[in-house]
Amino acid sequence: MEEDVVRIVETRPIEGDGLVIVEGFPDIGLVGAIAASFMADKLGMEEVGYIDSDALPPLVAVRNGRILNLIRIYRKENLLALISDVPIPPPLVKPISQKIMEWVEGKRPRLFITLTGIPEPGRLNIERPKVFVLGSRPELTEEAARIDNVDRFTDGFVVGVKGMLLMEGYKRGLDTLLILAQSHFNYPDPGSAAEIVKYLAKYLNIEIDVKPLLESAEELKLRLRDLMMRTNQAMQGIQKAKELELPPVYL
Amino acid sequence: MLRRRPWWRVLLEEFRAIEEEMQRFEEEFMRRIKEAEAMRGCIIPLYNIYESGDEVILTADMPGVNKEEIDLRVGEDYVRVEAPCRSALRPGQKYLLHIKLPSKIDPSTVRARYREGVLEIVAKKKVAGVRVKVE
Repeated sequence: MEEDVVRIVETRPIEGDGLVIVEGFPDIGLVGAIAASFMADKLGMEEVGYIDSDALPPLVAVRNGRILNLIRIYRKENLLALISDVPIPPPLVKPISQKIMEWVEGKRPRLFITLTGIPEPGRLNIERPKVFVLGSRPELTEEAARIDNVDRFTDGFVVGVKGMLLMEGYKRGLDTLLILAQSHFNYPDPGSAAEIVKYLAKYLNIEIDVKPLLESAEELKLRLRDLMMRTNQAMQGIQKAKELELPPVYL
Repeated sequence: MLRRRPWWRVLLEEFRAIEEEMQRFEEEFMRRIKEAEAMRGCIIPLYNIYESGDEVILTADMPGVNKEEIDLRVGEDYVRVEAPCRSALRPGQKYLLHIKLPSKIDPSTVRARYREGVLEIVAKKKVAGVRVKVE
């Protein structure tokens, strides 16, 4: 029955070796969503599929007269991006994570990457947000941390779809990398997204200039205000504020 | 003959009811903000209020504002911010935020700064009472 909850549809067959799949669903500061969308736009990625579910709100996005699915899959060469126009509804977090990783497993990719913000209450005092990495294997974390000497994410909670994707990747033995950047909790944060894009460009050896992202930061914040409000509501439903806490240590 | 529903179905239905209630609340919240904005021709900024020790900290996300044009007024228990939004996306619109503070503050201690589209206001709480020696 569960396969009916979430459906992944490939409008163009997604095949190939060494695929790298980047997920950027909306959550903290919309960091992952901004970074993945910017990357897809600047690299000229094309829509090759979508993710659908009866648990998604019954609406369609229309952009420049084109009807769009809410959660889309983009591709250019061996790079794929998963982008959503809506926050993942709390009841859908687990089924969608399981379905995505089941689909990912079938693709035998080189790497699955999930992007997010790490809430930083003192963000206003930070000129350049720090980037953190956590891999599903210690060796993957070490390899990722060597790029640009970024920090390792060692303690804390990862709540919601990002955490579930990482856990599913870990359980299935798929190389999964969580990339986080210090961010405002509930304000769109293009500055934080820019740091993630810069890091990704180095890690994946692709050329992408973040200057246009930083230059359009104010406009982007205004455009994404409604999505941020919706995302804030969804984050309350999954205890996202728990990311400001540390897991208990008993010994 | 009446059959009892299995416990898991009862639980599932309860969760669904809670979920639907949350969705209704979210829709109501969004509708009220959007209607208020349309009626007043203003933008209500996203904001946070924290209480930290003897301070109250308010931040508001207000991209596209000239710092010099921010009209900030504070009282013992409220903050009011008004500023024109200079973004081409919202021509002629202004930000307007008027909120009651969770604790009384001393307005003479208020300091504010505007950075990367975010306004931060920090105020000392109004302290009343007497000092008590701890034994």
